[in-house]
Amino acid sequence: MQLSKTRRRTARGLLGGAALMFAGMLPALDAAAQVAPRNTLVLLREIDADRYDPARTSATAAGEAIFLLSDTLVSMDWDQRTIRPGLAESWTVSEDGTTYTFKLRQGVTFCDGKPFTAKDVVYTINRWIDPATRSPVRWRAGSVKEVRAVDDHTVEYELNEPFSELLYQLAQYFASIVDEATVEKLGTNFGVQGFNGTGPYCWASWTPRQEMVLTKHPTYNWGPPIYNNPSPQVDRIVMRVIPEANTRLAAVQSGQGDITQWIPYFALDGLRRIPTLKLTQQPVHFYDHFMGFRVDKPVASDPAIRRAVNLAVNKDAIAKAVFFGAGEAATAYINPNALDYSAEAAKAVPQFNADEARKVLDAAGWTMGPDGVRVKEGQRATLLLYGLQTAINSSMMQAVQADLRRVGIELRIQLWDATVGWGKLATQEFDTFIISYPYVSATDAFSLYFHSANRPTPNRMNWNDPETDAALVAARQALDPEARAEVIGKLQQRIAENNVWLPLMRQPLWVVSSQRVEGVRPHGIYGVALYKGLDIRLTR
Amino acid sequence: MSAAEADLARPARRPGLLRWALREPVAAFSALAAVLLILAAVLAPALAPTDPFDNDLSLAMAAPGTEGLLLGADNQGRDMITRLLFGLRATLMMGFASVLLGGGIGAVVGFAAAFYSRLDGLLMRCMDVLLSFPAILFGLAIAAIFGPGILAVVLSLSVATVPLMARIVRGSALVAMRQDYMVAARAIGMSDARIIFRHLAPNCLSSMCVFGTLRFGQVILLGSALSFLGLGAQPPVAELGAMASEGRTYLFFAPHIAVIPCVMIFVVVLVFNLLGDALRDALDPKLRV
Repeated sequence: MQLSKTRRRTARGLLGGAALMFAGMLPALDAAAQVAPRNTLVLLREIDADRYDPARTSATAAGEAIFLLSDTLVSMDWDQRTIRPGLAESWTVSEDGTTYTFKLRQGVTFCDGKPFTAKDVVYTINRWIDPATRSPVRWRAGSVKEVRAVDDHTVEYELNEPFSELLYQLAQYFASIVDEATVEKLGTNFGVQGFNGTGPYCWASWTPRQEMVLTKHPTYNWGPPIYNNPSPQVDRIVMRVIPEANTRLAAVQSGQGDITQWIPYFALDGLRRIPTLKLTQQPVHFYDHFMGFRVDKPVASDPAIRRAVNLAVNKDAIAKAVFFGAGEAATAYINPNALDYSAEAAKAVPQFNADEARKVLDAAGWTMGPDGVRVKEGQRATLLLYGLQTAINSSMMQAVQADLRRVGIELRIQLWDATVGWGKLATQEFDTFIISYPYVSATDAFSLYFHSANRPTPNRMNWNDPETDAALVAARQALDPEARAEVIGKLQQRIAENNVWLPLMRQPLWVVSSQRVEGVRPHGIYGVALYKGLDIRLTR
Repeated sequence: MSAAEADLARPARRPGLLRWALREPVAAFSALAAVLLILAAVLAPALAPTDPFDNDLSLAMAAPGTEGLLLGADNQGRDMITRLLFGLRATLMMGFASVLLGGGIGAVVGFAAAFYSRLDGLLMRCMDVLLSFPAILFGLAIAAIFGPGILAVVLSLSVATVPLMARIVRGSALVAMRQDYMVAARAIGMSDARIIFRHLAPNCLSSMCVFGTLRFGQVILLGSALSFLGLGAQPPVAELGAMASEGRTYLFFAPHIAVIPCVMIFVVVLVFNLLGDALRDALDPKLRV
């Protein structure tokens, strides 16, 4: 306790010093105002996306812009579970759960002035699910039979089988409505050279890995009802990429940037003490880190090893030291605030108890070897871990590695740069992997990772269990929310009992903004803080 | 060199160690520092106060001087002194391995090129090709093939050292080849291998030693750079470059995590550069004023 105080004091001193340094670099506050012109919001980002075509990407970074450039039929409330109107004013679902009829809002126009009609919805959905489009998330649209335009402002969305989470999926940016003429004109360069959507902002320019400029959609007044303003309040948004965390923070502190959600955790405490900056949090945020076990590999296939790993890792210590108290230890596979979280299943997830871990390993016949690594029938208790090279992954996994070493399990960490990392994560080389991902609900998360059809990615565990597949189908097709909660709750229990993952950390969502920015409220849909950003305005 | 020649080469009066140290303070200092650094690295397991992999997350980023940690703790709550000693060990081993392996192969190539003039053109053009690649590029390529790790760094640094050593050795071997004793050795019918080992190699040894020592410093710097890029030592292995890389994230909040290993790299490189200079002064009579 004494130490942490000293440390904090030192950190504060250092941060103060750093802040002074930056202040010294700028002649006056006016200079900062010059850097970010009047009524232009400068949004700082960590990485850029490869393209901004909603049907052909799955990156969170793409969502940052696409939610601003375009609209979805329905929108998501701050609680991440209530569906609100979007481009559709209202909707009805047929008795058998297979046909959704959307009544579209009138008077909506694309950025180029063209009116938005039911035909655009039909075109967008058909393009999304067309195998030729090669959308990585086509499954999110459900098993579509036909999408019909009944008249200019009515769409019927017919499925082959019920899909209880269709509306949640249609709120994601993948289902953003795009303009047919622009898509046909730009072809594969749609979302690279230009865009045409109905969103609050319009595409002005994009310099990959540097910045994207968006301008206000002048006639936009059909924002989701969760905002106080139906129209955008800022004239321009410049989305600037600054990959290095310290540089990004310096930019916010010096006024070169107005707002960012990409804050390294170690900086949160320091930022809170800078009077010219504002920090806002979205408490309901589903973006989790987990370590998955490849259940068909020699060591990772042993249930005792998987259970022992779950018992051995002190997540609370990681939350304090690696996430600086900002993260939350993941005590279950699903966030307690998420739709269909099962408290019962959470009890089946082993919690930190190193002695118990040693007992489990002893009982399973893993005896301690001379080098501190356990051995069983000539096999060393060693696990090769793959992941992406990020500061958080590196320090989090080193902490896990040290915890596992204490119970006699060796973790060999191999983190890869993002350019090769995704390819490496698609191989069969590793025993365990670390990943973080956003999700909507329990069914969404589990469908993505545990269905046998999703092997080898994203089901990198190679988890192949007919019972799981059946439960996922039942949950997706459930007509009654309670029935779905029950079946997906049982599945959470089954996965937890098998220790297919080591749930690690729940990532918090914080946004830091400069003094001139008002009306910031982080949303966090698919990890995107700004969402439509309609209430944000600049005072200077 | 025969015994008689050695006698001739020996200075008339061998100065005492202390007197030499007073006359050549830089050489003495660098030699002493190098010995101390090597000793610290070799004895790291005995000297280190804690286990290098043992973390205590509650001590993460402890500033130097707190909690009885003279140099503080890193972001995983590991004692910096321990990490530094083991980091030094890994870094020095990496340096020695690369210089020995790359230098050894380079020397063989250099002797072959100098001794067999028919091979000279081919071998030296190959070396020129190798010279045209930056070491970092080798590091990237080798890490892509073998996966990142100390082995990849040693291999890439060795490959980068081969052409340099080959050129140095060939140069001094060509000079030695023109000496009368070489003609004499041939005249009495010595075999090629014997001539190379008994006459050629000993006469090139001084320039090889000087280059090896200077190269050692460069190799450490390059190796640290590769580790800094994440191609070298993988966690939890302590390596100075990797430690600097990891600490860089916390530069504003806990600067000691990055600064201490950087200072260590600086000291190691400086010491071995000074030692190389001193060796050259001592071994190359032509440079003596």
